[in-house]
Amino acid sequence: MDSKAAKTARESLDLAFHMSNILETGLDRHTLSVLIALCDLGLNPEALAAVVKELRRETLSMSPTVPPPSSS
Amino acid sequence: MEDEDQQKIADLIKELVLRLLSQNPTSDSQPLNPKSPSFHKHLRYALRILSARLCPSIAPDSAAIAESIKRRLVTKGKSSQALTFSELYTKFASKTGPGSVNNKWAVLHLLDIVSEDRKNAGAQLGSPLLLLPNLSLNDAESGDGDSRVLRRGGSKEKGWNNGVLVVASDSGNFRDIAFREFANFVKEENEVSEEILVREVLYACQGIDGKYVKFDAGSDGYVLSDSIKVPRATRTMVRKLCELGWLFRKVKGYIWDSMDRFPAEDVGTVGQAFCAALQDELSDYYKLLAVLEAQSMNRIPLISESVNSGNYLSLRRLSVWIAEPMVKMRLMAVLVDKCKVLKGGAMAGAIHLHAQHGDPMVQEFMRRLLRRVCSPLFEMVRSWVLEGELEDIFAEFFVVGQPVKAESLWREGYMLHPGMLPSFISQSLAQRILRTGKSINFLRVCCDDRGWADAATEAAAAAGTSTSRGGLGYGKTDALESLVDEAAKRIDEHLLDVMYNRYKFKEHCLAIKRYLLLGQGDFVQYLMDIVGPQLSEPANTISSFQLAGLLETAIRASNAQYDDPDILDRLRVKMMPHGTGDRGWDVFSLEYDARVPLDTVFTESVMAKYLRIFNFLWKLRRVEHALIGAWKTMKPNCITSNSFTKLQQAVKLQLVSTLRRCQVLWDEMNHFVTNLQYYIMFEVLEFSWSNLSNEMEVAKDLDDLLAAHERYLNSIVEKSLLGERSQTLYKSLFVLFDLILRFRSHADRLYEGIHELQARSESSLPSQDKSKSRKQMKDRSSEPGSWFSEGRKALTQRTNEFLRNMGQDLDSISKEYSSLLENFISQLPEQQHVDLKFLLFRLDFTEFYSRQHPSS
Repeated sequence: MDSKAAKTARESLDLAFHMSNILETGLDRHTLSVLIALCDLGLNPEALAAVVKELRRETLSMSPTVPPPSSS
Repeated sequence: MEDEDQQKIADLIKELVLRLLSQNPTSDSQPLNPKSPSFHKHLRYALRILSARLCPSIAPDSAAIAESIKRRLVTKGKSSQALTFSELYTKFASKTGPGSVNNKWAVLHLLDIVSEDRKNAGAQLGSPLLLLPNLSLNDAESGDGDSRVLRRGGSKEKGWNNGVLVVASDSGNFRDIAFREFANFVKEENEVSEEILVREVLYACQGIDGKYVKFDAGSDGYVLSDSIKVPRATRTMVRKLCELGWLFRKVKGYIWDSMDRFPAEDVGTVGQAFCAALQDELSDYYKLLAVLEAQSMNRIPLISESVNSGNYLSLRRLSVWIAEPMVKMRLMAVLVDKCKVLKGGAMAGAIHLHAQHGDPMVQEFMRRLLRRVCSPLFEMVRSWVLEGELEDIFAEFFVVGQPVKAESLWREGYMLHPGMLPSFISQSLAQRILRTGKSINFLRVCCDDRGWADAATEAAAAAGTSTSRGGLGYGKTDALESLVDEAAKRIDEHLLDVMYNRYKFKEHCLAIKRYLLLGQGDFVQYLMDIVGPQLSEPANTISSFQLAGLLETAIRASNAQYDDPDILDRLRVKMMPHGTGDRGWDVFSLEYDARVPLDTVFTESVMAKYLRIFNFLWKLRRVEHALIGAWKTMKPNCITSNSFTKLQQAVKLQLVSTLRRCQVLWDEMNHFVTNLQYYIMFEVLEFSWSNLSNEMEVAKDLDDLLAAHERYLNSIVEKSLLGERSQTLYKSLFVLFDLILRFRSHADRLYEGIHELQARSESSLPSQDKSKSRKQMKDRSSEPGSWFSEGRKALTQRTNEFLRNMGQDLDSISKEYSSLLENFISQLPEQQHVDLKFLLFRLDFTEFYSRQHPSS
């Protein structure tokens, strides 16, 4: 992976992260990069979104007493 | 390579799960152990979700997704963020080549969904009820409440039915997918989108060819061109909708046609009104089309989309919209077809026939149309009835006028044109309309009268219609009827008033009866006396001027002189065309000059009838006159039997018997003639006259009057044996008359002979009355003294011979007469007329004739 490609990748990630923030997805940079990688590998984005949703709910339900996080 | 990828995916998933779980917001959470069973549980769950063979529900179009995200942001009022997002996206999209994200759309979609999910979750967090339970985690902490359990049960059921799909996306999403697929399918099926088709159809409805929908002369209609691929159902629908276009073309074509023809050819006012009414309907139609066209600009939403603005137009919606105009247009097209060759009243009638419809909408429509169409027609009726004007340059009115002479104006001047009579005006009403206008024209032209205008104004006021335009219209037949009635009543009244008072109709009728029908006895007697000698001459030697002078004398000498000079002025002598051998008696007649306007009643044919009656009555009078003349010479005291004392007994006997026979015959004839005369005078003339007088009193209009006069004349003609059916009777009557005239000359000769004889016998004796017989002797001067020389014997012989001859003649006349009379009487009962039975009864009062000839 040459430097130019890395740069492009980083910039893309930056842009995606910005967009994610605007859309208030609440994903952090790392998670987003993992998701992008999975998307690039051809996984269904809708399925990925479902995983994100379900696991998030799981974490919430594991600690129901805790108030929800303020939107990031 | 596959394995490598798989491994990479597994690693990444593991990483992802770890990251997500570690994102546990609780800060005091224990550090996540990748080996812990809970982690494995979650990992398995994630893998299960991902391994579901789930296809993305949208097309892999990153631009479209970005656009939709942007739009959503805008609608939420975050326009600045939307702007930033679109900038970021353009940058993101521009990243290509190695290292860049390949599945850009997937990333975007992912972000989109996650964002949506989060928002929904945020909204749901407030209510624990909406926290969807995890399906695959058989969590123990259930029993949060009944509703929650129920909810879970419902979801589980769904899950069973729909597999993992339900988990992956909610049910709305699933329907979206189906709809999207359907949309794609539709797109594939249809080369042309529905919006375009709707617009095309709207064009076609205005008679304009579109890009795809064109008028096809072959199939005579608008069709979608075959080259375009659309489902058959759509094609059929388009064709159905385009029927409107075809109808429109037809109606519009008719209007244009009429407009074009208008100045050159006579379309007629009714036709013009029809066109205008159609035009109005079409402008309504245009308004609707404009609204529809505006609506057709809106996009047709997919069925899935909730429609916030319902104003879009699909083919189906269009078909609902144009259902009503279609009915109207169809009606108009039918009318146009019907009316192409018609005009005027016929056109209105044809349209009226179509108005008899059960559908209230159609009825209302037709009534509106007819009100417009008929307005010129009613205007014509109004001006005809109230002003007598025939404003009909296009020959549309059901009254037709033709230029005629004043005398036949009433009978032939105006006619009803049955073809132009619309069926909503009844025949009797049409007759009344015709007569009213005719009366006005008659008053104006023939009577030179102005009073009718007042009557018309009065009538209009009474009918509640102003004399100006309006007030009448289709569907207000009552108003029309009352107007016509009022107008007819007043105009007719006025007309009769003028006829009676100004033109003295009754007086003229009476005058005709007195002079032409010989009702004035002294006048007739005197006239007969003075013109008698003249009329015995051959017809060609008689001067009518001389006769006119004699007529004048007769008037002066009789009571007729006190009559109105205007009436006497009109009485003339008329010589009929004569052939050789005609006597004056045959050609002489009287004439009455009726003049305008009375010549409407006393037309030429009527006068011809009067002439026939006059001739008959004149002859009857002449015969009666002749018999009276004979009686004068036959008076018994003229011939004293003692003057024949010198004659032989035998001769004397013969003389007496001849005289007696003559007397008897005269009596018989006189009986017949007197009774006939009586019958004619009292049973025929006076009776008919009294009827006429009564009818004149009750006559309401000129037609009544004409009919009454006609009846009067006909009854006279019928009863006096002048009718068609009594031809033979009439002829035998004339033979009888001729015979009576012949008898008169015989009787004259007989008495002449007797007088001569008397003179001879007196001259052979000492004459006492020479002066009386001198004149007769002069006649015989060619053989003077012949009787003297022959002496008494010869005289007796001559007398004998003369008497025998006369007796034979009388015998033959008597025989002929009795056979003729028998013939006449036997024919009488065959006549239809009841009154002739009275004549028979009168003639045969003592049953003398019927007993004489019992066989008949």
